[in-house]
Amino acid sequence: MTPARTTPAWLLEPEHGLCPCCSIGRRRRGSAVDKTIRGLAGVLRQALQSEELAARRGLLQRLDPRVKLIATVALLVAAGLVRHIPVLLALYALTLLLAAASRLPVGWFVKRVWLFIPVFTGVVVLPATFSFVTPGEVVLPLGHWFGHPVGLTRQGLTGAGLIVCRVATSISLVVLLTLTTSWPRLLAALSALRVPRLLVLVIGMAYRYLFVLLDAVADMVTARKARTVSVANGQAGRVFVASSAGALFGKAHALSEEIHQAMLARGYRGELRTLDRTRVALADAAALVVALVLVAAAVGGDRALGL
Amino acid sequence: MRSASEPLLEVRGLGYAYLGRFPALDEVGFTVARGETVALLGANGSGKSTLLKVLAGLIFPDRGSYRAFGQEVTEDALEDAQLNAGFRSRLGFVFQNSDAQVFSPTVREEIAFGPLQLALPQDQVEARVDDVLRLLEIADLADRAPYQLSAGQKKRVAIASVLVTNPELLLFDEPTAGLDPRSQQWLLELLAELARAGKTILLATHDLDLLDPLAERCLLFSEQHRLVADAATADVLADTELLLSLNLIHEHTHRHGPFVHSHPHGPSHHANRAEASL
Repeated sequence: MTPARTTPAWLLEPEHGLCPCCSIGRRRRGSAVDKTIRGLAGVLRQALQSEELAARRGLLQRLDPRVKLIATVALLVAAGLVRHIPVLLALYALTLLLAAASRLPVGWFVKRVWLFIPVFTGVVVLPATFSFVTPGEVVLPLGHWFGHPVGLTRQGLTGAGLIVCRVATSISLVVLLTLTTSWPRLLAALSALRVPRLLVLVIGMAYRYLFVLLDAVADMVTARKARTVSVANGQAGRVFVASSAGALFGKAHALSEEIHQAMLARGYRGELRTLDRTRVALADAAALVVALVLVAAAVGGDRALGL
Repeated sequence: MRSASEPLLEVRGLGYAYLGRFPALDEVGFTVARGETVALLGANGSGKSTLLKVLAGLIFPDRGSYRAFGQEVTEDALEDAQLNAGFRSRLGFVFQNSDAQVFSPTVREEIAFGPLQLALPQDQVEARVDDVLRLLEIADLADRAPYQLSAGQKKRVAIASVLVTNPELLLFDEPTAGLDPRSQQWLLELLAELARAGKTILLATHDLDLLDPLAERCLLFSEQHRLVADAATADVLADTELLLSLNLIHEHTHRHGPFVHSHPHGPSHHANRAEASL
């Protein structure tokens, strides 16, 4: 016999005091909780968009990922060696052409690269444009210091322009590779090119479980939002963040143990074996040759322009 | 050396405690013959999942012995590469949490993982993967990433990744948990088909509706982590008192028109009603 249920009387009464019938309460927008939920959804949306772009039938999507990986690395080295802005601009124009040929939205591609260059590279190179750091011919005087003109120098600006172009070209190349290659194929290319398999496995799992753990975070944050009636103060917010970080750590640990068991159960013994599909088409070989010729042309042309 | 009459699994006096303090199995002993379908029944926390992990050679008991396929299974024995490969290829374990089991970047790689670790040749692996994808009706998901799959699809992938090595013993931990009714029905039919094909199947569950057509035998676990009954499914389902005492069914109160009455709720409910109406 089950004991008689003892439901407390207050649970059987309607709750007074929280009146849903009028909207005269204080409104708050953009709470950290909402931002977190939106941010988590954004990660998933971006991943799905990348997958969708990688599945389009464009020029780069058709190439073997290993060829793309080698060509990208070679072109990155070329971008690093080149010392003339026009050559870098030519390489950058090439990435735009490839983006268009691969059916990527070019405007979005350009924005994606240039949005964060001022934030990261700009801050680094800005001091170098001043005559204090890079002495030389002042082209934009900003005043005088003990009788000497101070301002932006030609040498400083050239150096800064060179770095900004180099970074923009390099990032464009990498973005091209990652947008036109689906994540699994990129991982397969890494292991085909003799990157240690365990490393590839770890990178793959990190990406895979990012989504599982993001789900867990979204659940925790949504559950909190559902139970939050009054405006939370900073102290409660910090306690929540700390405790959910702890809970997430525990979850991740339990999950990792179970994943390891799942791997052991299927015969994993510390030495990983993977599917190898080595089929390089003629078009892939041709693309690789074209890429290497471009690298030689860029570096050779740069040398021909002199120092 | 194996004789035809030797049981496939033989467990004796098994004891296991998490961290040496929280008991999960106490003096558990039974045997399973080749081709049997056996259900492990018990309430939450009665030790079913722990037992399956011991049987799968993933954790090792504190006390007692475990023999599978005619071999003693110990941590030391599984260090042997050949014995390990033999044991792992003959035993398939479908975890309750598909997210833990589906860890590869794509469905195809996930399914290929097992046979590749067991050193099957590449072309054979690819052919088998294609076959299993078709069998489980997930060929269109082959190049998807796991985060793009629903719970039911993930479960299919997990089962595919186990079936691909063609194990003779299959362990399922709460196979129907979290699946919608249509996926549950599909899974039941698949399990029945595997059983007909001669596979030995052990499934841990507290879903009594799963048993009737499927398992001919039940092992019942108490909340004290002990094996309390080992009997034919029909007898177990008829023993209302036993099921009530193990928290597998509960007293249910409901209303028929003006009358309110109580009766145990579980699969035997309908059998009782049929008798009452006679």
